[in-house]
Amino acid sequence: MVEQLIDTDKLKKIAEEVISREDVRLLIGYRKGTFGFRMRPAFVEEVSEVGELEFTPACVNNLATYLTNYERPPLPRGTTNDTRKVAVMVKGCDSRALLQQMVELAYKRDDVIILGIPCNGVIDPAKVDKRFPEAKGPGDVKREGDNFTFSADGKTETVPAAEVIADKCTRCRYPTPLVYDELLAPEVERFADDTYEDIAGLEKRGSDEKWAYWEEKFSRCVRCYGCRNVCPMCYCDECVLDRLSPQWMRRSVDISENTAYHISRAYHLAGRCIQCGECQRVCPMDIPIMEMNRKFYKDVAEFYEYEPGTDAEEKPLLSIFSVDDKEDFIL
Amino acid sequence: MTEDKAKATVTTDFEPNIVAFLCNWCSYAGADLAGTSRIQYPANVKVIRVMCSGRVNPLFVMNALQQGADGVLVSGCHPGDCHYMHGNYYARRRFTLMRDFLEYLGVEPERFRASWVSASEGSKWKEVIEEVVEGVKSVGPMDQFKRRQLNW
Repeated sequence: MVEQLIDTDKLKKIAEEVISREDVRLLIGYRKGTFGFRMRPAFVEEVSEVGELEFTPACVNNLATYLTNYERPPLPRGTTNDTRKVAVMVKGCDSRALLQQMVELAYKRDDVIILGIPCNGVIDPAKVDKRFPEAKGPGDVKREGDNFTFSADGKTETVPAAEVIADKCTRCRYPTPLVYDELLAPEVERFADDTYEDIAGLEKRGSDEKWAYWEEKFSRCVRCYGCRNVCPMCYCDECVLDRLSPQWMRRSVDISENTAYHISRAYHLAGRCIQCGECQRVCPMDIPIMEMNRKFYKDVAEFYEYEPGTDAEEKPLLSIFSVDDKEDFIL
Repeated sequence: MTEDKAKATVTTDFEPNIVAFLCNWCSYAGADLAGTSRIQYPANVKVIRVMCSGRVNPLFVMNALQQGADGVLVSGCHPGDCHYMHGNYYARRRFTLMRDFLEYLGVEPERFRASWVSASEGSKWKEVIEEVVEGVKSVGPMDQFKRRQLNW
């Protein structure tokens, strides 16, 4: 029986303890959004702001993004950076982003306080918007057994979980965070497995069909760079996607440059993508970005038995090698 | 798209444009040996010399295909023989992933090949080039994401 997991009072109590610590600068969590059933990130700096924290199945955002994507303006003379710790609420999938960032030495384990949230699935906002096109909200989402209960504008409706659950959750193998300082609820058993059936269909088709599929998707792209900006693994100070020298892809939005953009973006996540699905969620043009990431994810698992974001002691995939790596295509 | 391809195969006058990234220490010397030994091989390759196959960014492949290459070849020292100890091992990982990914997007696998050619393998160089050229000829001109708006 799957139930609402997180006790909000307990969450607030722990958050209060954490944020009142001397060595903590910021707590990143979730709070209610202003429209529909959306939740949004909350950046808590004072104890008085703790009251708005909440966790519901609508908390889809991967907050690991905000650990690395903060502005670093030049400091006035005589001042130093605030290097105190940052606390962050993470679900199972998000915790892997933290692990992978630590593998890449983005920060040290001691620099963050991780509040782990065992999670039994979040909703897919796109599916929910389709199901409730009229909902103004702000609404509430609860998990009750195999259903989600949506209540907004004085109405309550129960929807089977399979109808609105996010795709990534149907193949989630790490529902309990892999790294945490404090767990906010009892651990959740692994409830799904990944068979890659979503990409297997395309893999089997011929080159012409594959390209016809992607040509249609890529030509839709408006190059908003949203998929890069939201990605917890995309935190380079200088990104290959907007460098001018060398300029790998031009600014023009046409099929050639769009394809180059998507190849570069996907390739730079090879062996790093932790399958949180944020890129696809934010895409305004519904490009199946995760299908590219998952291709790499599958290859990496198959060829090198490597799974990004599962072990903080691991080295990044492309910075190591084995003498007997696969090389069947090399003449 | 398919029409172009059919035409190219029927008339067989399609001469592919192939970019080859060769490592300075083995493959470039191997190609040089093929030349000094007067071994005849197809003249479709444009050689770019790099210091190591590990220098070749997988984005080079994408960029070459975008700028009008019909095929790309990356060639380096045999595993274990790298002048820089293990540059080609790193390269191998990158290219295995890139090739599989390009194939997934619908770029024919024939367009992107890799090979190990040592400094003494002039005749192997010839065989490699013949196979690559033949492969690219069989799939026709690169038309997936070639850059067409050149003035941008």
